[in-house]
Amino acid sequence: MAGVVLSLALLSLSSGCVTVPQEELFQLSPESPKNRAMQTRMFETSDEKELLSASAATLQDLGFEIEESVWDAGFLRAAKERSAREWGQHIRRFFVLVVSFGYVLMPIDLHQKIAATLITRPLNQERSRHEVRIMFYRVVWQGEGYVERAQIPPGEQSSEMIRDPVLYQQFFARLSKAVFLEAHKI
Amino acid sequence: MTRRSLNGAGSFGAWMVLAASLQVLGCAPEPSQDLFAPTEAQMKLRSFQTRTFDVSDRQVALRAVIAVLQDLGFIIERANEPLGLVTAARFSEPNYLEIVGVTVTVRPQADGRMMIRANAIHNNKPIEDPKVYQNFFASLERSLFITKE
Repeated sequence: MAGVVLSLALLSLSSGCVTVPQEELFQLSPESPKNRAMQTRMFETSDEKELLSASAATLQDLGFEIEESVWDAGFLRAAKERSAREWGQHIRRFFVLVVSFGYVLMPIDLHQKIAATLITRPLNQERSRHEVRIMFYRVVWQGEGYVERAQIPPGEQSSEMIRDPVLYQQFFARLSKAVFLEAHKI
Repeated sequence: MTRRSLNGAGSFGAWMVLAASLQVLGCAPEPSQDLFAPTEAQMKLRSFQTRTFDVSDRQVALRAVIAVLQDLGFIIERANEPLGLVTAARFSEPNYLEIVGVTVTVRPQADGRMMIRANAIHNNKPIEDPKVYQNFFASLERSLFITKE
């Protein structure tokens, strides 16, 4: 009985049963200005094309493949796929298996796609300043797991925005080197 | 006599085939005819999915739409400037398995204003709650106001 309760608790923990009310789907969250500041830099240049192509080159340097590019909208989408295996997850999976007396085998992350969408945008009428905003996110594919006899099917994916400011700083440092311009924070 | 009976058997077979095929057709889920007919609910939906803004430049409007979607945490999937079309999606974050998709079209109107229409989908179901669209347009209004300055 304790095992079942524990497994249910673990399952609810792992899947995150909180549902967002629909009205809040299009509401700005309190953390959105912070994200915006982290993801955006301003460049004193009128050459949007150069900024966009340098961004593409920088993403390529970081191992991304460009999937979509629309020059009129100043838009790039790029992705790279990597393994998502982490030792910590294997260890946690083992301990959960032992603690739950073999009831719960947690699924572990197998594969991930790290993707980026980048937008350049003129900031004033004369188009002498442009901002670049990049969002990194990752989509994760998981392997199969079990709760007692019920299988958790593999491939169930999850996705999250990457919130590590260091990654964004690194990207903008490279980009500003590539266009020989200073990246100003907004 | 023999010919007639044969004939009768043939037509009987044909009727059976027809009946069977009709039955098979009947079993298949038939798309209802009002699937494409305009209903009052649809007209209402369209009215709160659409809003007109005092912006004359389509590119400015389109870029404001993209900016606001990014602020909301959406991942831009496709953008088409000549058609004024943006498609974006995101996973609603506390529960990573829920997907929200949105398509926004920006169309200039005859009076020089801009008509913006948003269609949102939550887990493969269209969102029909007016509040959701009100929130979206409120955020967009703010973004357009910022870009105007």
